[in-house]
Amino acid sequence: MRNLIIFIRRYFNFFLFLVIEIFCLVLVFRNNNYQRATVLNSANRVTAGLYKKYNAIQYYFHLKAINDSLAVENDRLRNQLLRDFRTADTLADQVKEISDTAGRRKYLYMPARVVNNSVNTLVNYITIERGSEEGVTPNMAVISATGVAGIVRSVSDHYAVAISLLNKDSRISARLTRTGNFGSVRWNGRNPRYGTLTDIPRNVKVYKNDSVVTSGYSTIFPEGLLIGYVEGFTEQKSSNFHTIRIRFATDFYRLQYVSVIRNLMSEEQKKLEASVPHE
Amino acid sequence: MSSLMKNIIRFVLLLLLQVFVLNKVLIHEFVNPYLYLLFVLLLPFSMPRAALLLCGLLMGLTLDMFMNTPGMHAAACVLIAFLRPFIINLLAPQGGFDLTQKDPSVTTMGWVPFTVYATILVLVHHIAYFALEVYGFSNPLYFVLKTLLSAAVSLGLILVFEMLFAVRPGK
Repeated sequence: MRNLIIFIRRYFNFFLFLVIEIFCLVLVFRNNNYQRATVLNSANRVTAGLYKKYNAIQYYFHLKAINDSLAVENDRLRNQLLRDFRTADTLADQVKEISDTAGRRKYLYMPARVVNNSVNTLVNYITIERGSEEGVTPNMAVISATGVAGIVRSVSDHYAVAISLLNKDSRISARLTRTGNFGSVRWNGRNPRYGTLTDIPRNVKVYKNDSVVTSGYSTIFPEGLLIGYVEGFTEQKSSNFHTIRIRFATDFYRLQYVSVIRNLMSEEQKKLEASVPHE
Repeated sequence: MSSLMKNIIRFVLLLLLQVFVLNKVLIHEFVNPYLYLLFVLLLPFSMPRAALLLCGLLMGLTLDMFMNTPGMHAAACVLIAFLRPFIINLLAPQGGFDLTQKDPSVTTMGWVPFTVYATILVLVHHIAYFALEVYGFSNPLYFVLKTLLSAAVSLGLILVFEMLFAVRPGK
């Protein structure tokens, strides 16, 4: 026993090092779980507060670009208004009737300011100023004015951290608009403007500049949100799938406003899916 | 100025510089310099090893909080805090470094030993950090390029920082 104590005292520093290092590695690998303590991320009061101060300065330099993107978004939304489409009278009545009786809100959009956003590592996060007290919970979608941006991962009272589309672990179920084939969008860790769409079978014809939108298979994203455009693709003889390079619709370099999307029916869908027995 | 005060100021200064300047400046997709580890490099010679480890942990965890990388910077920082005394012993001339000045710097160690000291620890830190960052991402070339290029830029910044702030022998 005495020898053991002498041994430990002699190599105390080494043991201390081991203990601390193991503690750090536990933190790193526990991070792979979906939920994390909010104390150790940029949603806590000190870090988010500092980022907010910094952002208040940076914000002015981006005002012009923000105004432009909001004006473009407004026009895009106006162009989708029903009253601007000319339809046969009977059909218009039908549409009205359907939306009156069966219409029930499924998605709720909430605006949020981005207080911090990085693009230069493999694991990028977006810190937004809207937290659990303002109705944000983990696994909500985050979109910019132009396209998909990320998914909320952890929340504090007034801030939330979203895992950016620019993250080596992010996978978003997507669909090619022209052919309707499903695949998944990921990021290759290189250029923040480009991503890859995988799992599209090789027999499918891929069109350049075709838009890639969300598939609506997950409970997170509504169907048909723009992710990006097909930039080009490579055909690998050995693989049965295309590797398609896409240009992201969201400009991650200047993300200042995002919308958080709440799926009001996700609970119901999840409960139903969980009740089906798995083989 | 007391050594404690100086190190606290250095901690805050390097942290802010890292979070609000270096992390915001996009040089290239392969270049993410990390200057904050200079805090660990410049802690006094006489500091006990256990205290070095704890200082490294504190710095790493604080940066991790800002960067949403729980444990990654802390692990790399603690590793270099642990290796630091060994490197200093290797580089020390007969009878050790002049302990009238307490911190490692180009004036107390000389340009060449300090550069060697910084190079080794920066490389170890960057290899450890980027290995954790790219974990589960199979692209060895990406890892090697990113580590080497980032380490080169970090080292350059450290030497510039030293030229700016090191106390000259005459003073």
